[in-house]
Amino acid sequence: MLDALFEGLLLILHWKAFAFMLLGVGLGFWVGLLPGLGGGTTLALMLPFTYTMSPAEAFAFLLGMHSVVATTGDITSVLFGVPGEGTTAATVLDGYAMAKKGEAGRALGAALMSSLVGAVVGALALALAIPVVRPLVLTFGSPELFMLAMVGIAFIVSLSGEGRGGLRRGFLAGGLGLLCAMVGQDPQAGILRYSLGLLYLWDGLDIVPVLVGIFAIPEIIDLAVRGTAIAGDVSYGRLGKGVTEGIKDTFRHFGLTIRCSLIGTFIGIMPGLGGGVAQWLAYGHATQSARDANERKGFGQGDVRGVLGPGAANNSKEGGALIPTVAFGVPGSSSMAILLGGFFLLGLVPGPDMLTKHLPLTLSMVWTIVLANIITVGASLVFINQLAKLTTIRAHLLIPFIVLLVFIGSYTANNSYGDLVAMLVFGALGYAMVAAGWPRAPFILGLVLGKLAENYLYISTTRYGAAWLGRPVVVVLFLLAVLVIAYPFVQARRSRRRAGARCAS
Amino acid sequence: MRQAGRRWTLATLAIPAVVVLAVVPAARAAQPYDGKTITIIVGYKPGGGYDRTARLLARHLPKHIPGKPTIIVQNMPGANSIVAANHVYNLARPDGLTIGTFNRNLPLAQLTRVEGVRFDITKFAWIGSAASESTILTLHSDLPYKTLDDLRKAEKPIVIGTTGPGANTHDFPLLLKELLGFNFKIVSGYSSSADIMLAVERKEVDGRAGSYTSLRPFIDRGLVRPVVRARATEPGIEKLPVDEDLATAPRAKAIMALRSGPEIVGRPYVMPPGTPDALVKIVREAFVRVARDPELVDEATRAKMEIEYVSDVEALKIIREVLGQPRDVVDEFSKYIKFGD
Repeated sequence: MLDALFEGLLLILHWKAFAFMLLGVGLGFWVGLLPGLGGGTTLALMLPFTYTMSPAEAFAFLLGMHSVVATTGDITSVLFGVPGEGTTAATVLDGYAMAKKGEAGRALGAALMSSLVGAVVGALALALAIPVVRPLVLTFGSPELFMLAMVGIAFIVSLSGEGRGGLRRGFLAGGLGLLCAMVGQDPQAGILRYSLGLLYLWDGLDIVPVLVGIFAIPEIIDLAVRGTAIAGDVSYGRLGKGVTEGIKDTFRHFGLTIRCSLIGTFIGIMPGLGGGVAQWLAYGHATQSARDANERKGFGQGDVRGVLGPGAANNSKEGGALIPTVAFGVPGSSSMAILLGGFFLLGLVPGPDMLTKHLPLTLSMVWTIVLANIITVGASLVFINQLAKLTTIRAHLLIPFIVLLVFIGSYTANNSYGDLVAMLVFGALGYAMVAAGWPRAPFILGLVLGKLAENYLYISTTRYGAAWLGRPVVVVLFLLAVLVIAYPFVQARRSRRRAGARCAS
Repeated sequence: MRQAGRRWTLATLAIPAVVVLAVVPAARAAQPYDGKTITIIVGYKPGGGYDRTARLLARHLPKHIPGKPTIIVQNMPGANSIVAANHVYNLARPDGLTIGTFNRNLPLAQLTRVEGVRFDITKFAWIGSAASESTILTLHSDLPYKTLDDLRKAEKPIVIGTTGPGANTHDFPLLLKELLGFNFKIVSGYSSSADIMLAVERKEVDGRAGSYTSLRPFIDRGLVRPVVRARATEPGIEKLPVDEDLATAPRAKAIMALRSGPEIVGRPYVMPPGTPDALVKIVREAFVRVARDPELVDEATRAKMEIEYVSDVEALKIIREVLGQPRDVVDEFSKYIKFGD
């Protein structure tokens, strides 16, 4: 194992592979920054260039590109409130809120550093998990995946506002998200649901225009109304200092960063959950780290932990997502499906062999993810202060640029005008929700998990009847979901008792 | 294409200038594709089989078209590629610069009068098909079933995982169950055929159907073995029993034939209706040549893809056959099969 680890490192450190990785990193950097231009499309475009490369070089190039997309996607999310990638939307909530408080530098520092920690932890966990990864993945059948989706949906409790009214709003928003997930042709009877007679809605709502609309539009309106810069009237000087602060934050909340990295790795390993899920679970978990009600209210208003969690999970999941692709030939996302095409081109058959005979190559992929992230974060830190200054540009100069990003970002999802309409409709919904004080995260959670939950529930019951409810992992996950739901209440009681004790003394 | 359209309006404005400049080297205009860009519109997102085929062709076609045009791929996903087909039929200019490739089952969408179809599939300027796709059914190698009779008489239902109605993973085993009495339990809703493969591996389901291309790696690895195939065939699976041959009732045969007909036109390629014959002919000839191009063949083999040109005449013949089915057959067909992905 150690030999293979070392051999894998040598494969990637070979000058040619390394050069290709740098090239990939350079490309991925921009792809991540620009909203809508997704990692998947770029991979498909770049695949032909790998024909003449050796496997180690080709994967260094492709993965180098792919693994930094989530890292730089966070930058756009923080600076403009526009999700740079579908998988970096959760960073918007607290990252952009921090930018508005004039803490863009700190938020960026935190996002980048947690991304790096996430990538390293993900790769490490992956290398350690290789011997057990096949049984681990095979343990998670449809019933287990259904329960896992339920655990995710349970996080609505932590993502909702305080009190009974807050919870009611959270659940309603989550329910609306679930409902929106039902749009399109259903996979059991082939019936069109809520498609309004529009061809655009046959395949369901595309997540990217919805995310861009619901998060970016309210912020644009807010910015236009305020008329100041994103960071208000904060002076240049204060902005730059934040970066080191953000890096320190990562280590101040190191436990949280590690835990969110592990969540990301785990979700990544599970095929069929998709990349969008990890960030929200991590965000949900980050909100649990609030010690009392007041602190919880701070989430969404610019709590750095809300940046660290999704930042870490985003990058750690990339390592995890490699596993089903490499070990089973079963890609977990469209990017991975394209990468799988690369395997065939290079004459490799994904499967158990990749964990034994070709282990060094597999590990060289793990190394690529780590190195690519170190390089990206290092490079970003150099000019991040300049980037943070973008938040001091006055609104009327910045808004046209952001609007352009928003429109292009949505349109590239399907190259359809429907994308723009969807973005505007959900932008209006997002604005209404913000104005009325409704939480948006539960809605997204419902939207992201709704289809998975429905399909896995259907498969579980047709395949196993009611027997699946008794499967041990299902029971464990069920208890975990109960725990997630109960946690805020337990926490509230504890803090009340603490407050009571303080009064008494 | 909108972009190309704008380029054309600009071109019209520039005509006087061009005319003056072009008088002398008029001979060059004999190559209609000289310096032009052809767009291949794919009805799906990047990454799938339709997209990969289009990108492969886009790389190798130019050298077979006089004038060596640039060829680019544009993805226009939506409604199982009805959106792309509608676009190529109604909006794209018939100037020979647009090629469309879409879901092979669109003739069935037209036949069963699916809402949203704004085209007559026979009226496209057909180039032909770049490959035929054979659907096969595979079962986990550990399962004891030896003969087809075993499948009929299996004590416990054999669980087949599918992605959902309209996909060949679903429709093929569904007809085997309904028309041939195979003891199958169809479990639909997996998000991709790869996910079903994993379900096979963890023995949640016993088997899956799908295109031979996508299943071949798993057959090679020994995870599953092929059992039955549909009409379209490829080297390596010729000897498998064919579903239509197993049916005794003519009605059942007709329904199965209707499902599998479009598979022979597995990767349809068309141009907008009204594209000048001369241009369509150039592209068709390029398709004939590119399918034999050793560079393309080498790349396709490595990517485990099969490129085999089916002529426009043959493609249209099969499609007319599909569309010409009597109403009662179509009605019964619609009972089982919904148009989908």
